[in-house]
Amino acid sequence: MTTVLLLLLLAVGAYLVAVVEDWTVSGRFRLAAPVLAGIALLGRESIVPRKPDRIFFEVAPFLLLVSAILGAAVVPLTPDLIITDMATGALFINAALVYVLVALLMAGWGPDGAYAMIGGWRFLGQLIAYAMLIVMPITAVVMRAESLLTTQVVVSQAGVWNIIYQPLGFILFFIAAMALAFLPPFDLTTSKGELAGGVEAEYTGVRLAVFRLGRLALIITLAAATVIFYLGGWQGPLLPPWAWSTIKILAVTTIMLLAGRYMPRIREADLLAWCWMLGIPLALLNILLVGVLVLVFP
Amino acid sequence: MIAGARQGRPSALRRLVAAAMARDLGTFIIPGPDIARTHGLDIEATGLHRVTSPRHASVLLVIGAIPPSLRESAAVVYAQMARPRVLFVLGTDKLFPLPAADVMADLSQQELIKGVRQLRSAFAEGAFYPEVSDFDAPVLQVRIEYTCPMHPEIVRDEPGSCPICGMNLVLREAQAKAGHLHIDHQEMGASMDMETASTHAHGSHHSIDHGAPVEYTCPMHPEVVQDEPGSCPKCGMDLVPRDAPAESSHEHHHMAHDEPVEYTCPMHPEVVQHEPGSCPKCGMDLEPRETQNKQSHKHSGMDHNGMDSDMDHSSMDHGDMAFMSMIDVTKDLPRSGDGLPMEWIEAPFGPFFPGLPSGLLLTLTLDGDTVAGSNARSLIENGELLQSSSMDTGSFVERLTSFDPLAPVAYRYLACRVLENVAGMDVSANTANARIGALERERIASHLGWLALFAQQTGFDWLMRRTTSLQLKFQHADLEQIVALKPAILTLTKRLQRTPLLKSRMAGIGLLARDATLRGPVARATGIGDDARSTDKVYTTLGFKTVSRKTGDALARLHVRLDEIIHSLALIEAAGAIELPVPTIIGEVSGTGEAVVETPRGVARLRLTLEMGKVTTAQLDTPSTHHLALINPLIEQQELGDALLAVGSLDLSPWEVRQ
Repeated sequence: MTTVLLLLLLAVGAYLVAVVEDWTVSGRFRLAAPVLAGIALLGRESIVPRKPDRIFFEVAPFLLLVSAILGAAVVPLTPDLIITDMATGALFINAALVYVLVALLMAGWGPDGAYAMIGGWRFLGQLIAYAMLIVMPITAVVMRAESLLTTQVVVSQAGVWNIIYQPLGFILFFIAAMALAFLPPFDLTTSKGELAGGVEAEYTGVRLAVFRLGRLALIITLAAATVIFYLGGWQGPLLPPWAWSTIKILAVTTIMLLAGRYMPRIREADLLAWCWMLGIPLALLNILLVGVLVLVFP
Repeated sequence: MIAGARQGRPSALRRLVAAAMARDLGTFIIPGPDIARTHGLDIEATGLHRVTSPRHASVLLVIGAIPPSLRESAAVVYAQMARPRVLFVLGTDKLFPLPAADVMADLSQQELIKGVRQLRSAFAEGAFYPEVSDFDAPVLQVRIEYTCPMHPEIVRDEPGSCPICGMNLVLREAQAKAGHLHIDHQEMGASMDMETASTHAHGSHHSIDHGAPVEYTCPMHPEVVQDEPGSCPKCGMDLVPRDAPAESSHEHHHMAHDEPVEYTCPMHPEVVQHEPGSCPKCGMDLEPRETQNKQSHKHSGMDHNGMDSDMDHSSMDHGDMAFMSMIDVTKDLPRSGDGLPMEWIEAPFGPFFPGLPSGLLLTLTLDGDTVAGSNARSLIENGELLQSSSMDTGSFVERLTSFDPLAPVAYRYLACRVLENVAGMDVSANTANARIGALERERIASHLGWLALFAQQTGFDWLMRRTTSLQLKFQHADLEQIVALKPAILTLTKRLQRTPLLKSRMAGIGLLARDATLRGPVARATGIGDDARSTDKVYTTLGFKTVSRKTGDALARLHVRLDEIIHSLALIEAAGAIELPVPTIIGEVSGTGEAVVETPRGVARLRLTLEMGKVTTAQLDTPSTHHLALINPLIEQQELGDALLAVGSLDLSPWEVRQ
């Protein structure tokens, strides 16, 4: 029952993300726009390019969606509202989202087109750049919680949210989450101006609809992960826990979607250099600082 | 019904879907949004939303007359669009090879809005139809032909074997249309390489011919080597080709004695000795082989048959060579700058690529995502200035006005100036000032258009929206409106100073040294004070000062253009009027004259000969012609994103390129 409810909530969340994204792009707030866009996609031809790697081409959109849903499975919206409170939950998010890379690589290779393929390779090239900055800040978070249970991570922030306790980790995680969701300014893999859509460029119709749905689910999963790791999850005064979760997740999503509109896309070389040479040392420093804090103020 | 309907009976459910689709129309603009803006069209305001991949578009919007070569690319784009699709044409009826338009309208915002309304109802009504016909155009037809991997000159219509080397011919695709060699299929991919124009990234491995001469040898008698195909004088077998030994890689037979050679038993590899002899286990003769410090692929040549051909690995070894050497696999692949062999692909960017000026075709050879080679050209054939051997001056001015839709005022001004120079006439100070007002207004609009393109390329949405709307406002603004827009411009430039990532995105990209071929803002970004306006009396009295920067990179070009926008505002205010140049009536004058104008992209120079008031010869030199030639060295070995930014920062106008 909880599973069904949470999957429904994920669908509603993805829909709201689509509305917010439409608002950031078009400047108008239209509740019906994603429905129309979705139906329109279903009504259009779903073209298979001429020399595809058929399996990769077909599987990639679903894999992206599945990966995002798996990640969402360990996110608690309230203390009880969680699909599975796994003992390795915090690590599981990271593991599930690794398939985002696989999905994008397959989507890039599958259609046999230069733009898509370069888009896929670009994402592969960034792998360590963002993956380390996802997993290392999570390490610091679970150090404080002394548990990999995502519910326990939220409970550990009862006094001070992690965004205050370990701001460095929050900044790194937030940036890496945007890179993992290939949101602007990190949309190197689906960039419109450089690759005419990159890995998305050759998908049409139903397959494109699934791909876009997967992307929306991925954004909301990462926003939810940010909330439970750094923003105190369901905790907050007055309002019930589910309301706090919803408000926080939507707020993080909006910031994620808006940020990229006000700056140019990052250079690939810069992203790699900064993540490797700045991000990883900072993440290590963050672990050290949190370690000291945990020891000093147990 | 619309021509591009999707097959299906229009059931109630499909009607519902069609109605939803009619509300969500992804639009691919041809030639591009830059041309749409110069016509004063605000596409997004009509509810059409722009997409960058033809695959995602339901509407192909054609704006104004476009040259035949671009129409062919447009036909490919149309073919790539998923059904249901509609063709919406503004202000032209010359469309071939595109199909007939589903909706037509004149070139204006009102007509566009009206057209969109028609489009929506056409779409809702006719998106599905039981019978649909295929769209077919000559450019889309593909001929299958067979060719020998070793002898590209062998091309057959049917499969078979190569008459020279006997290898099986392999299939490839060619464009059916004859006499069209300069546009191959990949280029026809327009902005996208799909359907007819897939780059076959998996399949066709771009191997570079090292230029090694081919020689022919007998499979049985390697000592027989000749330059031509033929048969072996010893055994009569057909000779097979092999690459001539460019280095020393094939010289096993000659060099066997120089190399440390061991002898081993074919049946018992553990038996190894330094001299020939027989195997102590089975008595077989030992066979020579090179010692292990040599590269593994050389072993293959050292067997008894002496089979030294690269072409037949299976017959070379005794079955103990089951692994594929990486060196063998990659030996024909091109080398990157770091020496690694990689597969290279050739990908077309343009002529409708979202991050480049429309009409520009940039074909990049990509080594990973690094540019290994490039070829840039304009697909717009805008060569003939004179439609006939002599042209009256009025139509000549109109011809130049429509020469470059991205800078109509500058070229109109140029035509008027040169005619006045030939006739030795001058215009009044007021008229001269007002013309400058119009020129500078165009410069502001053009630079804003460049900013919009830059923003589109780099995904800087806010900037794109801001500059698009400002460009539309500036284009036909009068003096008062321009003064009113000044604060918006100042805010924009301030905002850009504070934009994160902007500096790191542009600094050091597209670095150009001072060079006499550079023009306009590109030249001024390298510190050259090259500006036709600095020697113009009217400009100097208005207080013109050359704007320049030193670093010569894309960031410097951005700053020069931003500074010029602000300076142009001051010049317009000083000029105090805006008026499009009107040709002076010069009568039946004969003679030669020249004029220059600083277009938004740099100096353009026009030289004319008039006979009895008719233009008989015209020579035009434009900035983009020179800048186009810069592209190749500029982007070599650059990462793809940097390369596109560098090309974009030149602000080319494919319309004014003279081939």
